[in-house]
Amino acid sequence: METDLLIVGGGPAGLHAAYVAASNGIKTIIVDESFSLGGQLRQQTQQLNNLPKQFGDQTGTALAQTLIERLTNLDVTVLLKHTMIGTYKDGRVGVSNGQNTIPIAAKKVIVATGAAEEAFVFPGWTLPGVMTAGAAQILMNREHVIPGKNALVIGSNDFALEVGKQLVENGVCLQGIVDNEVQLVGKKAETVHFLKEAGVPVYLDSFVKHASGSGEVEKVIISYNNTEEEMDIDLVCIGKGLTPILEPFEILNCDFTYEKELGGWLPQYSTMMETSTSSIYVAGNAAGITNLGPILLTAEIAAVSVAETLNGLSKEEANVKRELSWQELYRLESAESQNAFHARVNLMRSFQDNVDAQLTQLFNMFVGGV
Amino acid sequence: MSNQYDVVIIGSGVVGSSIAFHLSESRQKEILVIDKDYPLSGTSGSTQAWVWVHNKTPSWYGELSMLSAELYPFLERKIGDVEYKRTGGIAPFFSESDRDSARRLAEKQAEVGIEIDVLNRDQVLEKEPALSPNIAGATFSKIDGNVNPFRLVELYIKAAKKNHVQFSFYNPVIAIKRNKGMFKVITKNDVFMAKQVIMAAGPWTKEVGKLLGVDIPVKQVRGQILVTEPLAPLIKHTIGGMRQADNGEVLIGYSKEEVGYDRRTTLDVIQDTAKMAVEYLPDLAKANIVRCFAGVRVIPNDGLPILGPVPTIDNAYIAVMHSGITLSPIVGTVMTELLMHGETSIDLKKLRLDRFNESNSYV
Amino acid sequence: MDDSTIVCKCEEINLAEIETAIKSGAHTFDDIKRLTRCGMGPCQAKVCSNLVRQIISESLDKPLSDIRPPRMRMPLKPTRISALVGDEESSSVISVFSESAPKEGDEDHV
Repeated sequence: METDLLIVGGGPAGLHAAYVAASNGIKTIIVDESFSLGGQLRQQTQQLNNLPKQFGDQTGTALAQTLIERLTNLDVTVLLKHTMIGTYKDGRVGVSNGQNTIPIAAKKVIVATGAAEEAFVFPGWTLPGVMTAGAAQILMNREHVIPGKNALVIGSNDFALEVGKQLVENGVCLQGIVDNEVQLVGKKAETVHFLKEAGVPVYLDSFVKHASGSGEVEKVIISYNNTEEEMDIDLVCIGKGLTPILEPFEILNCDFTYEKELGGWLPQYSTMMETSTSSIYVAGNAAGITNLGPILLTAEIAAVSVAETLNGLSKEEANVKRELSWQELYRLESAESQNAFHARVNLMRSFQDNVDAQLTQLFNMFVGGV
Repeated sequence: MSNQYDVVIIGSGVVGSSIAFHLSESRQKEILVIDKDYPLSGTSGSTQAWVWVHNKTPSWYGELSMLSAELYPFLERKIGDVEYKRTGGIAPFFSESDRDSARRLAEKQAEVGIEIDVLNRDQVLEKEPALSPNIAGATFSKIDGNVNPFRLVELYIKAAKKNHVQFSFYNPVIAIKRNKGMFKVITKNDVFMAKQVIMAAGPWTKEVGKLLGVDIPVKQVRGQILVTEPLAPLIKHTIGGMRQADNGEVLIGYSKEEVGYDRRTTLDVIQDTAKMAVEYLPDLAKANIVRCFAGVRVIPNDGLPILGPVPTIDNAYIAVMHSGITLSPIVGTVMTELLMHGETSIDLKKLRLDRFNESNSYV
Repeated sequence: MDDSTIVCKCEEINLAEIETAIKSGAHTFDDIKRLTRCGMGPCQAKVCSNLVRQIISESLDKPLSDIRPPRMRMPLKPTRISALVGDEESSSVISVFSESAPKEGDEDHV
């Protein structure tokens, strides 16, 4: 198969990048290993604020619909249940559908494979009943299965708290939120308030000492304030954050760098979202763990840059669009914390010798001359 | 640790570690092994680890390989269980026209004592029912087998350490100088003095040789290997191209590409290898490949091991070869004889580095 | 966490085994992997890579930014051999037999 642009990953970043590229005349293929498009949005039933202006506020599931429907009349081929498994010597990407392996020759590739949930280890973590917060959310919102009766959430970031809230809403008895941090990591006041109202105990500076049970988790011992408490628990949800998925970038020979604030190791990229491998771009959580707004905007920047290099957009048009996207990205990302955006600028500066002059000015303004 | 040694060995793969162990057995020399990374990070850790003899040609090379294979059971008594298994080796062929050259191979190898049976299809399938009925026949020898390369190198090093050999890892050699009859080995982290130096750095020996001003006539050759998920017992023998490990994983691959030190895998070779896999073992079609890896092998320009003194530099030695796993027991033994006594029980004439100069003089 | 806590689910490798490998001098994920099989199973270190990096960081007192992720390999997802079998002619894959069958004059050039 041949195409102008191959997008790996049909989540929010991949879908938005496809729209931006294809509406500028770029022939696009999206591959996704799942049976449906939308990625993480498919289980995000909650309202999403801080989206780029054009989207307003909407739930994740509704946003997925929006992003998918916009592709209808564009030159976008969607290959579901196709997984990128590797690359050929000549740079073609190999995708497999389980029966065949298909080489795709693309002029440009945007990798939007997102993030993986961090594992977290304690004695007994391999027992059934211990799962990631994201897995619990998929069970509730996509499979419509209640994952347990008595739950414990490990981690207190916004996502862990949101899943805690959804557990309560689904009638699960949430016995506590445990985190080794000394204060809640999550900042969303609304969710914190909900959990407080629901009477969910929060154990900070605490940890799970042991989970046990015959064949599945039945009891959990937590340690807090130098005491131990044993609880009857059949569901432990681990929500200790996300880390960018690196595998496709390694296969594409991209260089990595480390930025703690962006989730650890991640591919290096320029202000165009191009990685160290020419013609390979990155978008979404793979470019640093963030919120949906910046996820969509990194995709927009990558797609605009692809359209520019393939003559779908003039240099001037592309520059204006990129600058607007970066401005909005700064606004949305720094609304929650300055650190992630600073880390991004740091990453791009260390990689790119001459960051685009206009953008340099912009970044200097944003980050106060870092 | 003192920085003065009798012997510094550069390279802690299967060859360097074997020499270190064998040389340390008499505990007469202060020995240091230096590696730019960690043992098994190079060629020795990215191999199917056949102990393969029967179709190594010319036959004197087959004989050397056989002697080495014969040493494995004794080696295990000294360093421990390296999971050496003399499974017998099968090298299938698909065309009747290959039978003649199979017979010729058997005759030649018989002269040095390597017993080879030339099997017909039924005989092959009797030994390995999972092999494809499209196979015309195979050469077979009882002497072939395989070993766990991870255990092998680990136990060579453990045994060497017990004999007081020192190791320095993650410490690339940057320069080697001659200083008052000694070698001054300058590494990233230290400076070591040595009376004797052995280059045993596999494909990287080329670079080490440059530090001594010696051209080592070797090529780097990439081999890519596919690993299946653990499968129920499928094959018992080591088959030219694949073997099944104790945990059920089948390792498949026999490819050669000259791409320098590039260790990436490519779908081109992965797919070719998959095709080979089902041509040999049709049942493998259903198996999942869990991972692929590539190793950079070293192949001397004439394909044969380079072993012995470096002719132009007193007290410098070299041990570099393609089949380090097969040959490590004999190479360790012979190099020890050479360094301890100056003479060896096997004539090194055909193996020495200076053979390349001699053959040049014919041109 | 105690010594017997599993770190690599696929190969059932516990904390003590990882720490022993580090003590014996292995300082990277890949070097630990080859000693212990940690990360060699079906998930190909997707779950344990950051856990092991954390343990290396703590054992050696090195920042996480100094500890690189493991080498990641094709295929990015377990893939059936039948799905990999292509139509193109084999190129660099050769048979052991055809390569090492004796050629005329093999013994003359040494």
